Amino acid sequence: MNPRRRRLRRFVPAALLALAAARPAVATTPAELFEGGNSAYEEGRLEQAAAAYEKILGYGIRDPRVHYNLANACFKMGRLGTAILHYEKARRLDPADPDIRDNLEYARGLIRDRVEAPEVPYPIRAIMAVVDPLSIDRMTSVFLAFYLLTGGLVGAIPLAQDPVRRKVLIYCALALGIGAAVAAGGLAYKIHATTAPHAVVMRDKADVLSGPGEDNTVLFTVHEGTLLEVRSRRGGWYQVSLPNALSGWIPAGTVEQV
Amino acid sequence: MRRRAVLMALLGWAAAADSLVAQEVFVRAQVDRSRIAQEDEVILSVEIAAPSFDQAAPPDVSPIQDFEILGGPSLSSRFQWINGRTSSTRTYSYALRPRKIGTLTIPALGLLIQGRTYHTEAVRVEVMAGGPQGSGPAGPGRLGPQRGPARPPSGGARPAGGPGVQLRAEVDTRTAYVGQQITLRVLLDTQTEVLNLGLKEAPTFPGFWAEEIKLPENLDLKRVQRGNEVYSEYTLLKRALFPTSSGTLTIPAMTYQVQVRRRSPDPIESFFFTPTETLTRQTEPLVITVQPLPEASRPAGFSGAVGQFNLSVGADRREARVNDAVGVKVKIAGEGNLNAVNALALPELGDFKRYAPKVSSSVAFQGDRLRSERVWDYVLIPLAPGDQAIPPVTFAYFDPRAGEYRRLSSPAIPIRVARGEETPGGPGIVVSQSDVRPLRQDIRYIKQAPGNLRDRSSFFYRSPGFAALVLLPIAADLGIFAYVRRRDRRHANARQRRERRARSQARRRLRDARRRMSPAGARAFYAEVAQALTEYVADKFDVSAAGLTHERIEELLLARHAPPQVRAAFHRCLEACDYALFAPASSGEGEMQRTLVRAEETLAALERSIAA
Repeated sequence: MNPRRRRLRRFVPAALLALAAARPAVATTPAELFEGGNSAYEEGRLEQAAAAYEKILGYGIRDPRVHYNLANACFKMGRLGTAILHYEKARRLDPADPDIRDNLEYARGLIRDRVEAPEVPYPIRAIMAVVDPLSIDRMTSVFLAFYLLTGGLVGAIPLAQDPVRRKVLIYCALALGIGAAVAAGGLAYKIHATTAPHAVVMRDKADVLSGPGEDNTVLFTVHEGTLLEVRSRRGGWYQVSLPNALSGWIPAGTVEQV
Repeated sequence: MRRRAVLMALLGWAAAADSLVAQEVFVRAQVDRSRIAQEDEVILSVEIAAPSFDQAAPPDVSPIQDFEILGGPSLSSRFQWINGRTSSTRTYSYALRPRKIGTLTIPALGLLIQGRTYHTEAVRVEVMAGGPQGSGPAGPGRLGPQRGPARPPSGGARPAGGPGVQLRAEVDTRTAYVGQQITLRVLLDTQTEVLNLGLKEAPTFPGFWAEEIKLPENLDLKRVQRGNEVYSEYTLLKRALFPTSSGTLTIPAMTYQVQVRRRSPDPIESFFFTPTETLTRQTEPLVITVQPLPEASRPAGFSGAVGQFNLSVGADRREARVNDAVGVKVKIAGEGNLNAVNALALPELGDFKRYAPKVSSSVAFQGDRLRSERVWDYVLIPLAPGDQAIPPVTFAYFDPRAGEYRRLSSPAIPIRVARGEETPGGPGIVVSQSDVRPLRQDIRYIKQAPGNLRDRSSFFYRSPGFAALVLLPIAADLGIFAYVRRRDRRHANARQRRERRARSQARRRLRDARRRMSPAGARAFYAEVAQALTEYVADKFDVSAAGLTHERIEELLLARHAPPQVRAAFHRCLEACDYALFAPASSGEGEMQRTLVRAEETLAALERSIAA
């Protein structure tokens, strides 16, 4: 551990203690902050609610419910871009939650840009439909279950004396092996979908240029809330692309990475 | 008057010359009266008959010095079709007031028509000093001596413009909001008997929605006094006008033709004929300033109605059964125009099936104000039992008198819905189901219960545990394979050793048997020989000697392709031993010796054949 980090570790709890001592009435634990944010939201004090949720995230607690509630508060305040950013973050952490999915879909319906995604062929679409609502950890468990069972069966084959039993074991291991391979593919897709860098447009309107510099041609314009895939970064510019294959460079300040 | 003018024109042209055809240009100036008082006005008409007025300019009136030009030019046109020829006439009219007394002259006026200048003749007007008898509206008696050409239509409803016949248009207000009623009346004031009258052309009201206000069969007569004169006033036309757009709108002038009785100074003429005169009178155009409805305070769901209205909502019953029809009547009535009002929708009701309403509307006039009524008849079918309610209906309108919007809201109507006739689940029950429809959309509510907030952004697949679990089966399987391979190899070695030792073991047993070869030890001898034979097969084939039967031995030998005579010899030898075991006394020492030799030979042959 480097000395700077050690110092920081010592400092953070001390600072928190000092804060707690100085302002005993102010909620400090994440649970209290969350409760406080929720009651502020219920009373319509949306700015305060958003501040409370942001503070929890500032503690490094990236819980999907915090992102979701923060997104709701931002949505009610009319900050569509921020709302979509946090709905996206919440969905990455908990893709199975129907509330997050619904609100994200509703908020996306209010974006000015409509981007047609290319048609996905059937078998992949079917696998995606199964995989999409699963969290990455759940997908990891599914893969491991298939994988470990296959491994166990493969190990049992040479131990079996009876040729019939051995044949049954070989077929079972083959079937489970195919399952494990599919689960591995699903997990790889999931990891890509969850960790691939994306960014949400935070300005009312942002121009996408042909290169990383103001003097390049404006290729197209995107509006607040549109989700872009980030392909590379150079200086203060992101190379982004849309699902319909449109691609270009956008100033990093106009977007926020998911 | 117009008819007379046409007649006169025709007579004039016929008398003048043949050259006066309609194709030619003909100009003329005339006044309505040749003798006037100083305060009076005189109407100068400049009439032009020409085939086309494409390049015609109004007359140049600058030479008129003796008169002050009060108004004009007002233009009227006439188009005629006589004997296959067309003729059009255009008349410019001016109102003039004399500047002095005496015989004044309106000089010849020049007109530029189709590049040529035409001149009217000078007209004389005798102006007398002002006096009651000379001034004022020209009485019928004045008309008598006035000979000459017919007078052109007067430029407006001027008091001095005709023989006591005046036409006026008036409105109740000159400023109004969009949609507010403006009542237009056209009045005729006359001092003579009106025999007949009619509008020259149907009136149009651009920029207004017009509703006709019906007049009684017999025109209302009212006596009014203007100055010293008493007039009979008739209301000729009434319209309720509703401006459809804001800005400055104009109600155009309307022209009436009025046929009046002319009093003739000639008693004989008066006795035998009814001398009549047709006058043309025109109203003044009226300018209305229309204000837009205030934008700022416009309530949501403003219906567009302007006026004063009442809202009533009623249901024909307060208790109903499921699937019964409940009639709901939404009625808006009041002063104002409801034609432009959008459909007033009863809000969507979740537990009722709502049919499209029957809309009926009616208008009537109360006094001169338009009263409208609009009724929406809804039929609702309750779908679920329980205490339901028809929610409040709101109606927003603009009150032009107060200059502000008003909002009416009906109270909610509770309706108790009982279950239908049949009990649920009974036979033949028909339930009309309806989809649950979303009324409007919003985001879903925030999440509660933060008891277990934690950072969920670290994923298991990145942890060392995941790598360990992935490597575990690979390592375990490799271990299992290695173990099985080693075990098999060891097993194979043991078998080979046993096989190799089979022959020597058998020899050792036969040697033991030879040692026991005595009549007393016959049983032990045969047992030893049988064991030597079976143990040899067991060792050779790596099986247990305990369960070896003749059949099993036959199988094993066949599997190693032992020749049939060897197999037969083997079995014979073994059977001989078995037999001797049960009857040991029957065999002597010689027999034992033979058995032993046969066993040794069989084993040798077997060893050879199996090895081969």
